[in-house]
Amino acid sequence: MQANTTPEDFAALIRRAGITLSAAQTAEAYAGWAYIEQMLVRLRSPSPRPREAEPAHIFVPQAPAPEAGR
Amino acid sequence: MTPFPSIAEAARQLASKAISPVELTRHCLDRIGKLDPAINAFLLQTPERALADAKAAEARFMKGASLGPLDGIPIAHKDLYNTAGIRTTAHSRLLADNVPTEDATTVAKLAAAGTVMLGKLATHEFAIGGPGFDLAWPPARNPWNREHVTSGSSSGTGAAVAAGMILGGTGSDTGGSIRGPAAFCGVAGIKPTYGRCSRAGVLPLTYSMDHTGPLAWTVEDCALLLQEMAGHDPADPASADRPVPSFTADLRKGVAGLRIGLVRHFHETDQKVNPAVQTAIDQAVALYRAQGAEIREVTLPSLFEFQACGFLILVTEAFALHEPWMQTRRSEYGRLMLGRMTYGALISGADYVQALRRRRELCTAVTTAMADLDLLLTAGAATEAPPFEPEPTGPELDKPGFTFPFNVTGQPAMTICGGFGEGGLPVGIQLAAKPFEEALLLRACHAYEAATDWRGRRPAMAQG
Repeated sequence: MQANTTPEDFAALIRRAGITLSAAQTAEAYAGWAYIEQMLVRLRSPSPRPREAEPAHIFVPQAPAPEAGR
Repeated sequence: MTPFPSIAEAARQLASKAISPVELTRHCLDRIGKLDPAINAFLLQTPERALADAKAAEARFMKGASLGPLDGIPIAHKDLYNTAGIRTTAHSRLLADNVPTEDATTVAKLAAAGTVMLGKLATHEFAIGGPGFDLAWPPARNPWNREHVTSGSSSGTGAAVAAGMILGGTGSDTGGSIRGPAAFCGVAGIKPTYGRCSRAGVLPLTYSMDHTGPLAWTVEDCALLLQEMAGHDPADPASADRPVPSFTADLRKGVAGLRIGLVRHFHETDQKVNPAVQTAIDQAVALYRAQGAEIREVTLPSLFEFQACGFLILVTEAFALHEPWMQTRRSEYGRLMLGRMTYGALISGADYVQALRRRRELCTAVTTAMADLDLLLTAGAATEAPPFEPEPTGPELDKPGFTFPFNVTGQPAMTICGGFGEGGLPVGIQLAAKPFEEALLLRACHAYEAATDWRGRRPAMAQG
């Protein structure tokens, strides 16, 4: 499977992420990148996702324990 | 003593004083000494600690003060679980000298139940990078055939249980790391509901998908271990503050009247399983039907949807954890770990949030599909354990696993031995229940196990 990102753009993505890889490590990561791109496309379906579609983990504030005298 | 007592059998023999904890522990230590050089399940053996634990258990039995069914039972911990004063490495050079000062909550609970700790078990590096030959320790090998992998990341636990070196052990499961080794090593492994067992003191792979749980030879043994591991822990922010029911009380109630959803498209379309696994699923369907369960076909989102969501959450959260070391100690990682972390570095914040939004949709889809079902049934893995590759690549990204869906949803799932395929290697079937329905899940798995004779077979190399 061919990635949409070119090898040059992929190397730029890695530099932008602030990590340094050897040429061999970059090539190995690039070999699987097409599958990651495919996963990213899947994440964006349904498209457009309803605006109100919330993430799975939404912080639920805990009410404070009742204090004596309140 | 039988060469391979289950936990339940050993507990009965200990209670009747037919065997002593010290005898049982020495039996396991002898097996480890004989078998582990060929299996590499242990990263560290702790015989002195084990014998001290065993002697303490023996003293309790002599006083008639047994702590329960796990008292005097030899186990070992995946080397992600912190053990006070005992090296805990995550199978990584980065933690080669790490000696925690406190036990993980689950380690402490199992110790308080009287278990005997035999040592620390192999994993994939930080529970994701493996199996690799470029780490500080070799990967665990499959006792059914040493040239084949164990799956991971609870690789040492699966191998050690199958070889009869330990009676049970701990695992962790972020994408299938308990259930994968259960399938390939022919043992039982349960990933409980997210929050059911504490993660405190277990080195994290992710924050939102890590689960802790046991592996053992039988379903009943998993129930016994889970009973002690489960429960609310204020030290774990995700810990569920819910009562823990008995996991053994209804174990033998059977499956009559239960409604089991067969997720046929998982194993026949999304990721077609091999004939041995298909046979195992077909036989499980027939067996459950014969026992009075109702089998219905159910459609869920495809395995690829769960994989996309789960994998991208996994690598992103894991990279957030490993980013400092990726900057400063990159060369100490194994090749597979480094590759996975590289992907995590490249996922944008927006993509991560999209994955979390997708996760809610997938959870809703499964909840809806299970509205009138009690359980789901599918494969544990697509094939038997494959051979080691000379240059391992890790799980292939184009082949979604059967375990990820239940890490995404957080519901309990269990893999058990479903028979044997090519070359006598085991195959696994997997069942899943609704959140916090572990007792029902264990009951259905036990019903299958009790009606088959797969538990009568052990790896040939473990027989000698």
